[in-house]
Formats: sequence, structure tokens, C-alpha cells
Amino acid sequence: MGQLFDAHARLFDGLIYEIDAYGRRPGCDPELISRGLEPITDLERRGMAQLSEVDTELLTHKLTAIVEEARDVYMALSITESVITGDMNCALFTASGDPVAVATGIYFHTMLNNAQIKYATKYYRNDPTVGLADGDIYFFNDELGGGVHAFDMFTAMPVFWKGELVAWATCGGHQGDSGSPTPGGFNAKARTRYEEGIHVPMMRIGERFRLRQDILDFLAGSVRNPFVFAADLKSRVATLDVLRKRLLREIERRGVEPVVGGMRRILIKSEEAARARLRELTDGIFRAVMFNDDELGGQLGLTRIPVTLFKEGDGMTVLVQGVSPENGLGPMHSTWHLVRASTAVYMFSYFFRGLAPNAGLLQPIRYLVEGPSIANSRDELAHGMGTSISACVVNGLHVLGSKLLFSSPHREAVQAPHSRNIMLMIFAGENRLGYATANFTGSANASGQGGRFDSDGESAVGFYWGPFTDAGETEDTDARLPHFVLARRLEKNYHGFGRYRGGSPLVEISTCGHLGCFMSSWGSADKISHNPGLMGGYYGPPNPRVVIKNTDLFERIERGEEVDISQYELLTRRKLKGEYRLEASGQATQAFKPGDLMCFGLGGGGGYGDVLEREPERVLGDLRENLITAEVALKIYGVVVDPATGLIDSAASTRRRAAIRRERLRKGKPFAAFMRAWQRKKPPEAILKYYGAWPEPRTPGYDKPFWGLYR
Amino acid sequence: MKLIRITEYLDIELERERWRCNRCGADFGPAREPWKKGALIRERDPREIHFPIGPSKEFNFSFDPKWMRIVEFYCPKCAVMIDNEYLPPGHPLTWDIQLDLDQLKAKHGVTPVRKRRESGPK
Ligand SMILES: [Zn+2]
Repeated sequence: MGQLFDAHARLFDGLIYEIDAYGRRPGCDPELISRGLEPITDLERRGMAQLSEVDTELLTHKLTAIVEEARDVYMALSITESVITGDMNCALFTASGDPVAVATGIYFHTMLNNAQIKYATKYYRNDPTVGLADGDIYFFNDELGGGVHAFDMFTAMPVFWKGELVAWATCGGHQGDSGSPTPGGFNAKARTRYEEGIHVPMMRIGERFRLRQDILDFLAGSVRNPFVFAADLKSRVATLDVLRKRLLREIERRGVEPVVGGMRRILIKSEEAARARLRELTDGIFRAVMFNDDELGGQLGLTRIPVTLFKEGDGMTVLVQGVSPENGLGPMHSTWHLVRASTAVYMFSYFFRGLAPNAGLLQPIRYLVEGPSIANSRDELAHGMGTSISACVVNGLHVLGSKLLFSSPHREAVQAPHSRNIMLMIFAGENRLGYATANFTGSANASGQGGRFDSDGESAVGFYWGPFTDAGETEDTDARLPHFVLARRLEKNYHGFGRYRGGSPLVEISTCGHLGCFMSSWGSADKISHNPGLMGGYYGPPNPRVVIKNTDLFERIERGEEVDISQYELLTRRKLKGEYRLEASGQATQAFKPGDLMCFGLGGGGGYGDVLEREPERVLGDLRENLITAEVALKIYGVVVDPATGLIDSAASTRRRAAIRRERLRKGKPFAAFMRAWQRKKPPEAILKYYGAWPEPRTPGYDKPFWGLYR
Repeated sequence: MKLIRITEYLDIELERERWRCNRCGADFGPAREPWKKGALIRERDPREIHFPIGPSKEFNFSFDPKWMRIVEFYCPKCAVMIDNEYLPPGHPLTWDIQLDLDQLKAKHGVTPVRKRRESGPK
């Protein structure tokens, strides 16, 4: 696997690393899921021989334009909250099922859809009871068959040219309600997959370009928002047809061999470009460790997700080993394929930035994800929030990638990770347009970015899984919600501090009208955080759920009072009467009535660099923009602001920073002395119940000062 | 003396294979070992950095110190914070950067070169 890997890694006996931790099951073949690019076909070979570099470049841009147009079509046609705001993807695949052109949006959707296309090709195409024909429409949402979770629903359509299968088009996204016990899909209390709604592996739902009404009725009848579901499914089929027609137009123009061969050439070029970039980087082993605070059996428990990266020559191995075991007590269980696909979000957007995003980029990378574990779990468990575990891998990789890229020509991608402290409010009820709706709002797309090596992270920048997403048109959004959004704003001390600070999330504060509504929520990072800083920058803070029940908000509004309802002001001054509940993010559905407040944001990014190197003027800017408190300016940044003038006292700031440096030298201990005291400590047993052996989940008795050294 | 920038705050002096502070030049020890062995290390209660917000002791936008501590690594000479880790109390530290020094030296023309390595995983 490489000399560094062979010299330093040791995989544990009896555990699975290179494939999903479950076997073949209906509609699902893990062997197909774990494959890389399929072999080159004869048609592709003939086509490639006819192409110049310029032809390939032109086709790359053409196919990109096609999938981006499809993205706009789908977002414009859909009435699904999360799709409108970009939690979706459109793509074109080779006939053998490898994604070639991937629209901006959620890259990892596309990196997963290959599994179901390959399944249909291998098992259904030549099955006389199914077959494969021009005009077929397929649907799938089964997380075991290669999907994310039951709430992410996809459609696919084969593209035929003169009777020959030449490509596949896919389109889909986060649909929301899946018929689970929890309106909106996410069931924070699920322990098996059977509590997460319907699971449909690759299923033909239409023929000759028409949806079958009986199947549509079955699917729409299985969820709480049949109108939204059916409208969205139809908008997907329309989008698939756009993809198909545009591709066929290119084939008419250029000929089938150059287009099909060109699609293969694009994959090969991406792989070559990825390998060329890897060759520019220093070889070595890089490590990062992330933790989760998952609700396990009625109380929060600690779990561990470490990532080790072996970079050698033009290849890399991502090793996720020493992971906490499966606990079976909640839906935070990921799969091998979800971990692999999730990393595309970082790899495509940051690490390989500038290269054409497709399956070729991941070809030089080998993924070893230990299972059974919370990162690569078995089939019967609940998987609905497995993205929280795969995101820990992604954020660990983000830190490692930044350390690897810093000394390379690609320093521009060095940045602390985008916030992934999920606390997502899920609504259900009747909206102002009079139909039932259940989902999350587009404000979920506005979490904070990490600090960069040369600038602050952006606030409310985008969605973790799709940095290019949008928060939608606010007034249109509000009409589609069953509740009222009272405020969308940035809050104080809600990001990671550093020489360049992280960005803050948009915090949304809502109540509901006379019809009432239902609210649930899911997430973790309530007592800890998943948002590391970089190079000495601090983490973004944890974000628990904030609900204030039975407030006197409407009485105050009726009296004509001005009410400052920022989350920070509400929590610190408690000017509204009511029952203040701060709790873990994962909560079952509750009825909300007028005056009940729910506040949520998706967390702030970590900072970059030492806080004492932040320019005092930037600290003053944060203060003036209400992003930090005066206490942070003084105690963390060591910047003294004259209360009379509101200006920086330079001499006092210099003294303050010198004092902080002296304190560091006084309180910092040499390695051996530090380790003597540190190694005697341990978290309380109550939170380690599902962690595995302490401190190395798979290696009882481990006592080395550094983790992950198994040889 | 050939100094190679590795991170914001760390250089490697290639010939002698030493970690060095990028800001002040302080020596952190052998580059084949974790640089953290040459740093000053301080454990902190996370509430000193992330000030708790609101009325709850359990959930307050800070880290619960029973769950997580901040471990800060400083240059022993200039006191710059080179990096930090958020770890459960007592959890082993992270050997974050373990470079292939032979490859790095070969790349920068610093002898001795043992042998060129092959490509990584295909
Ligand atoms: Zn120094």
C-alpha cells in the first residue's frame, strides 16, 4: 500500500476496513459500492482515440454547463424547502455508472448515486422482470444501497442513443419527510433503520418518460407531505429530461463516440490532475482526532472518530481506525460508503480546488474505515444521522489537508473547517399557502466558515455539505413555512477566535401562529464541538438547542414594547418571561404554540492562528459588529479599548499582550512534566459507557503519550 | 542552513533535522519526533476561552470541562501558540505531522538521499 503505510500502520484483525460492514441484501451489493472507476468500454476507447486535448476541454465545459443548468431547473421547479436552498445535486454518469460531470450543490450525493446505477446495470438490466429501456425512470433512497439516509431521495434516467445505453442522468436531494415516526424524517430516537421511514432501493417508477400513477400514489401516500413529495418528484423527472436532451444534443453535434469517449477522458484527466497535485506535496503521516457527544440510551455519551492520512507519492490512504464501536442506541451510525463520499465535500471544494469535480479525483485515494463501528456500521442499525459521524471524518481530514497543503504551492486552500455543529430544527404543519409541509429551513444553510490562513472566515456563508448553496428568497421561504421567523441574525461569541477568526452562523428565532406547529430537532456538538481551529486558532463553540416556552412575547408586542430577541440577549438578560430550556439537540417532536420560541444556528467556524497575533483593529471591528463581547477583546485577544472614546489603547494593549505571553511561559510545562499530570486524568465513567476501551477504543491498556501508534 | 516552512509557526532545519519556531527560531528537537515534545504545554478549562452563555450549567455554548479540555502548545522562547488540541481529560496527544524527511531532503537537494520511493496506492 506504500512504504510509509506498511512501516507505520497496523490494521486490527477481525475488523473490516475496505468495504461496508454488511453483506449483500435486497437491492444492495456492497462490492459494487466500494468499487472505483469501472473498466474502459470499447465505445469509450474508440471515442478517446478521436479526441484532442482541446476537444476534451470543450466537452468538460459543455457538460458542466449542462449539469449547472439542470441544477437551476430543479431548484426553480421544486417546492421542497431543502432543495430550493441547494441540498441537492444533478449529474451525468458514464453508461457504467461513474459520475463525470457533477453540478455544484451536494457533491457527495453524486458520489453515492453510482452505487445504485451500477446495481441496476448488474442485476436488473438483463432480468426479464425488470430490464432497462429508453424512458425508464428510477427512484431510490435506501442508505444501505449506497445512499445517505432515507430523507435524501434520488431519481435516475438512462440515456440511450440509437438503442445503445450511453450515459445516466441523476437528480435528487433532501426531500424531508420519509414516513418515519418523526415529522420531517429525522428521528433522533431511532435505534433501527425500521424507525426511519420507507427505504427504496433502485426501483423503476416510470416507463416511456412517464411516471406510473400507482407507484406515485404509493410513495406520496407513505409521507406526511404528499403534495410536496409529488410535486418534487415531477420536478426531478423534468430535470432528468433536461439533462438527457442536452446530452443527446451534444451527441448529435459531435457524434456518439467523441462524447462517450470524452466522458471517460474527463474522468482519466481528473485522476491524472489529482495525482499530479499529490506529487507536489510532502510525503508523510498526518493525524487528527474528533469526538462526538451523542445521545445514547437517554444520556449523552462520548465517542471517538480519529483520522490518519498517509500521503505517499501520487497517492493517499485515509485511515479511520480506533473508532468507538457501534452502540445501537441512536441514528449516529455511518457507513463505509458515506464516509468515502462525504470526504468529497472537502476534497473537491478545498483540497483539489480548481480541478474538475468527479469520481476521478478520488481514484488516487484509498479509504480504510474500521467496522463494525460508528463510522462503518452494520445494516440493521439506524443510520439517519450517520452524517454527523462522517462529518467528523471530513473535519479531521480538513485539518490534516490544511497542514499538508500549507508548505505546498496550494496554500490558498488552507483554512479551518466549515462549521458542522448541527442543531437543526425540523418543522411540520400547515403553511401560509395552505398545504402540509415538513422539513428544515434554508437558514440551515448559513453556518460559519473557518478562519483562513490570510483572512477571517465568512459568517453565514453556506451549507456544510455544499459550500455553494443559497439560503433562498426569504419572503418566499417564509410563505412556505408553518411557523413565523422573527429574526435572522449573527450573535456574539459564536465563532472560533484566532489571528483570523471563524465566521458566525445565522441564528434563526421562530415562533408559530394560531394554527400551531410541530417542532423536533436533531444534532450533536452540545457539550463539545466539531469545529476545530487551525494552527493555534480556537474551536468554534458548542451549540445546544435553545427553546423558550410560554413567553410573554406577544403580550409585549401588543403593548407596543420594543423587544430585543437576539439569542445572546435572551439568554444573558432573560427579558422575556418564560421557561428557558437549554438542552441536547436531538429531541422528539413537540407541539409549539404562539409565543413559544425556538432558536437555532448551525455553529461557527474555528479560528486560524494565535489570538495574540490578531490585528487590534480587527478586534475592534468584531466588537463594533457585535460579534464579540468586550470581555473577549480584553481577556482572549489582549486588546484594551478605551470605554470613553471607543478607540484602542495601544500602549495598554501591548502591555496586556505581554502579560498574557508571560502567563503562557509561567503556566506551560515541558512535555514530560505535562504528561505526568495529564495521563492520570480521565473523563467520568458515565460518559465513557459506549466509547470503547479508554483511551484507545480498540486497544485496552494503551499508555503511549500519542494516540494511534499500534506498532 | 536550509529552513523549510511547514506550518504557520513551524519550520524544519533540513540538514540537522530539527523543528524550529518560525517566529523566533527556537529549537523544538528532532524533526523525526513530534514537535510537541519541544513545546511548553498547558491544560486549560475551556470556560476560560469560551465564556458560558445563559442560565444552564449543562448546556451553555461552552465545553463541559468533564468532557473536554484545551491543551495549548507554546514556543518556550517567544510564547507564540503553535497549536492547540481539544481533548477529553487524559486523552493521548496527537502526533499531527510525521514527515518523510528523506523525501523532503531529496526534494530540496539536501543529502543524504537513501532511495527514491515509488508511488502510493493505486
Ligand atoms: Zn518562538
